[in-house]
Amino acid sequence: MKQETTFLWNRFTLREAFLLGFCATFIVLTRAVLRMKFGLPGHSMFFLMFFLLMARGCVPKLGAATLVGLVAGAVSIMLGMGKNGPLILLNFVLPAIVVDGATLFYPRLAINLVACLVVGAVASASKALTGILLDFLMGIDTEIIIRHILITTFFSALFGALGSAMAPAVVRRLQANRLVPAPPASD
Amino acid sequence: MPDTTWIERRWAATSDYACQFRAVNSPVHRLGAGWKLLMGAFLCAAAIQVREPWSLAIVMAMSLGYYFAARLTLFDLWRDVRFFLIQMVIILGLYCIKYGVSGGLWPGTRTSLQIVLFFIPGIVFIRTTQSSQLMRGLRRIVPYRMAFLIFTCFRFVPVFARELREIALAQRLRGARITARDLLSPGNWQDLFHCLMIPLIVRAIRTADEASLSAEARGFGVRPERSYFDHRLLARSSSADGAIDEARPINRKTGSATPTQP
Repeated sequence: MKQETTFLWNRFTLREAFLLGFCATFIVLTRAVLRMKFGLPGHSMFFLMFFLLMARGCVPKLGAATLVGLVAGAVSIMLGMGKNGPLILLNFVLPAIVVDGATLFYPRLAINLVACLVVGAVASASKALTGILLDFLMGIDTEIIIRHILITTFFSALFGALGSAMAPAVVRRLQANRLVPAPPASD
Repeated sequence: MPDTTWIERRWAATSDYACQFRAVNSPVHRLGAGWKLLMGAFLCAAAIQVREPWSLAIVMAMSLGYYFAARLTLFDLWRDVRFFLIQMVIILGLYCIKYGVSGGLWPGTRTSLQIVLFFIPGIVFIRTTQSSQLMRGLRRIVPYRMAFLIFTCFRFVPVFARELREIALAQRLRGARITARDLLSPGNWQDLFHCLMIPLIVRAIRTADEASLSAEARGFGVRPERSYFDHRLLARSSSADGAIDEARPINRKTGSATPTQP
C-alpha cells in the first residue's frame, strides 16, 4: 500500500491540504452569497462554524481547522471581502483555533451535537477578542466595552451555534459512506 | 431606453460591493503595497490616539484625503462605512445611557468616528491593490507550499461557485426547498445541508483526490524546495530503472536543471 508523504506542516498530505483548502473556498463563497442576500448581523458565523467543523471531521488531525481559517482569511483579503480589511484574518483564525483546541480535549467533537453547539457558540464569541482589543485601544470605558461586546457577539454566537448544529449529521453521513475517516481516539 | 435618475447612474458607475477593487488611475494606486501599509499603520495609530475635537478633525481630514486621493467616490465611501452604522448607534446609545445625553454625546461620537477612521486605511489598501499584487507580496512572506494552497483555493472559487449553482438547480428541480424564501423557515435548513452541502462536499473530496493525483504525477511536493515541471527535461532525465524524474529544481538564471543524486 502506497505510503502518503506529508505536504504541509509535516502533518497534512497534499490531498488533505486540498480538501481543507476547498472547505476554506466554501466559507468564502457562502460568505459572499449571504452578504448579498440577507445582510443579517453575525450571519457569517453560520457557515464559518459549519465548515470549520466539517474540515475537522473530514481531516481528523490537529491544525486542520486552523489551516482552513488561515486560507479562508487570506482568500477573503485577496477578494476584498469584509469591512475590516486585513484584520479579517483574525475573524477566521480565532474561531478556528478554538475548534482545534476543543478537539484536543474531545477528538470526536465533530460527530457530537451538544459538543458542536457549545464549541460553535464559544468559537463565534472568540471573534469578539478583536473588538475588545480595538475598544480598549480607543479608550472606551470597561463597562461600555463589556456591554458593547455582549450585544455584538450575541448574534454571532447564535448563528455560530446554529451552523455548528448542522455539522454532526453531515459528518456522520460521510463517515457511514467511508468518504472520510473516523476520528482517532486521541491526537 | 429606460430613464435613470442621476443617483442610479452614479450608483451604477461605482463598485458593486464594499471594499471592491477599483480599477482607476490614482496616486494611491501607483504606490507600492509596502508604502500603503506604512501609511495605513500611521493613520490607524493616529485614529487610536485622538481625544480632542481638533485632533479628531485633523485625522479625519487626513483619512478622507487619503480615501479620495485614490479617486474613490462618496458612493464608494457610503458602501464601505454603512456597515459601521449599527456599531456607531450601539456605542452612542451605551454612552448616553451611562452618562446621559449631554455627557455621553461627545465621547460616544468621538469613539464611533475613531472606529470608522481606524478601518479606512485598510479599506483603501484593499480597494487600490490588485489581487496579483497581493499574491506577489504574499509569495515573499509565506512559504511556497502555503502560498500554493492559497492560490489554488483562490483559483477554485469560480469553479465551486459554478458547482454550487448547478447542484442547487438540480436539487430544486427534484423538489428540495432551498430557495432564499424557503430558507427563511428553519424547518427547511435540513434540505440545505443534505441536498446542497453534502453533494458539494462529496464533489470537493473527489476534486481533491483528482487534483492531488494530478500534482503528484508531475512530481509536485516530492522535494522540500520549490521545483518546476519542465517537459524539455522529460527525454533527458530518465533514470537507470526507467522511472522518469520530472520535478527537478531548475536554476532560474541558466535554465538548466540541477543534477539528481545517483
